[in-house]
Amino acid sequence: MSKRQVHVELLLGEKVLAMNGVSIGRLEEIRTEVNRGHYYVTEFLVGSYAVLERLAAWRIGRAVLRVVRAQRKEGYRIRWEQLDLSDPRRLRLLCEVDELMPLKREQYPS
Amino acid sequence: MDLMRDCLDKQLEDGNKRRMGRVDGIILDIEDGRQPHVAYIEVGVKTLMNRLSPRLASLATEPYRIAWGKVKVGLNKVVADVEAEETPALEWELWLRKKVIGRIPGA
Amino acid sequence: MKKILEIALGIVTSVGGFLEIGSIATAAQAGSDFSLQLIWAIVLGGICIIFLVEQAGRFAAVSGRTIPDAIRERFGFNYFAFLYLVLVLVSLIVLAAEIGGVCIALELATGFHFSLWAIPVALVVWLVIWKGTFGIIEKGVSILGLVTLSFVVGAYLINPPWSQVAQSALPSLPQHNSIHYWFIAVSILGATISPYLYFFYSSGAIEDEWNEGYIGINRIIATGGMSFGSIISIAVLILAAMIFAPQGVKFEHYSQLPTLLTPVFGYWGYWLIVASIGIACLGAAMEITLEIAYLTAQGFGWNWSENQRPLDEARFSVAYMIAILIGMLPILIGIDPLTLTIFGMALTAATLPVSIVPFLFLMNDYSYVRVYRNGWLSNAVVLVIIGLAFVLAVVAIPLQIFGGS
Repeated sequence: MSKRQVHVELLLGEKVLAMNGVSIGRLEEIRTEVNRGHYYVTEFLVGSYAVLERLAAWRIGRAVLRVVRAQRKEGYRIRWEQLDLSDPRRLRLLCEVDELMPLKREQYPS
Repeated sequence: MDLMRDCLDKQLEDGNKRRMGRVDGIILDIEDGRQPHVAYIEVGVKTLMNRLSPRLASLATEPYRIAWGKVKVGLNKVVADVEAEETPALEWELWLRKKVIGRIPGA
Repeated sequence: MKKILEIALGIVTSVGGFLEIGSIATAAQAGSDFSLQLIWAIVLGGICIIFLVEQAGRFAAVSGRTIPDAIRERFGFNYFAFLYLVLVLVSLIVLAAEIGGVCIALELATGFHFSLWAIPVALVVWLVIWKGTFGIIEKGVSILGLVTLSFVVGAYLINPPWSQVAQSALPSLPQHNSIHYWFIAVSILGATISPYLYFFYSSGAIEDEWNEGYIGINRIIATGGMSFGSIISIAVLILAAMIFAPQGVKFEHYSQLPTLLTPVFGYWGYWLIVASIGIACLGAAMEITLEIAYLTAQGFGWNWSENQRPLDEARFSVAYMIAILIGMLPILIGIDPLTLTIFGMALTAATLPVSIVPFLFLMNDYSYVRVYRNGWLSNAVVLVIIGLAFVLAVVAIPLQIFGGS
């Protein structure tokens, strides 16, 4: 089993590619949970929706995006085992996009 | 806990509330087939420069790593169970204190 | 009684930050070139900065953090690095202009060329920051800066057409030399809506240990201080309009400034101008120096505070020493402070969006400001300011090239 280390700050904003090579969004957050003193990665949050929530100016953000005609895609929640981190510059899904959970506004942390 | 929102770029302090920089980087340990876990936080110019450009990073000295077990993520700050002045995080601060500021009257 | 004193002092210190060489020079130019017509630009800038400063104070009081702190945390290092480079570059140019302003005052007082004063002035700026506390710097210089009220008294005594003054508070189109008109308007806005002003205000609120209990006081101080500062700027414009414009004299050199008050105050007018420019610019130079150091220390997470010993915050101390050194250089080599001022104001206007856009997001972020988030009015005003800032960003430099003095 190969062990390696990955810099979280270098993953921020990286495109996440589906199995067919098409981008499904950008990595915006990494969620962890504590278990026996260790913080384990549980899921990765992806998509422009995630960006807005992160900036926490939801109404303002949507208004700005509408003005600049940016697409408002729903984001995705990717479980830790569904993402290939072997190449931090080319993050790839290990499953079909349909298997991903959608990221809804109420599911994002406050 | 969300790593970007709650930890990355947050103010880093030691146990005595001494500011010692910011969380410039977070390292995950990854092993095939196993759940990734948080291993270290990193403080240093090299880590910061790497976020801008790897070429800039090559000019800086190695960053300082703190094991995740010594770190506590609070509200809008991260506290490390270390003595700030005994770590490389304050190397420049101490050098400037001794060689520059300390030599000016009234410091 | 204590609260009233606190509010009064707060208003006075806010005025000190507002009035500096940029606002004096742009107001004088506006008055000499376009008579009373550009009063609206000062009014508009004043309204904008009132909202920004109030929000900066509220943000700091409620979140316990400064704006640079929050920008690094919320938007990450890459955006912070971009903001840092832009703001520091612009601030250093404005700092040079302020140091130049003090040197010009000393040249007017002594006859010795302004460049000879660069090193002594830089030393004074450094010494006051080195030895002084935040309170001494903020309040001491600002109380001395009350001498700038002589502009207001002068503008009243010169008896301008008040109905025209009131009318000019509303925007109007230029009757001649449009490019130059809009260039001056942009420069006035750049001189008024300075990022360093509201960034410094947020750092000052933390230095003064403001908390939620200061929300009301903050509103009064921000409104009172910035309004007062605007009135003094308008007074400078009125004086220039009444003294320079009728004679067709253009404001092109600092040596013309004493002419603004000598017709009203005679011999003492000369010394009032010298004191006003010297003290206002000294105060501004210290504020900008501190803000560059605050921006650096807060962004990188170093120890910082004007109330601590330099030995306890070596990197912060070195940061402001380097800022003063770099800011002093253009004046030392003889670059005209007026040119630096006008260029600095245009550049400030051009780079406004960089700092204001993230600020809007922060003021709506519950995790920082909780129930004190911006209401619809504050958001609307900031969105207008952002729109204005983008327009300024696009037109400032071309106007500087084609319409600048």
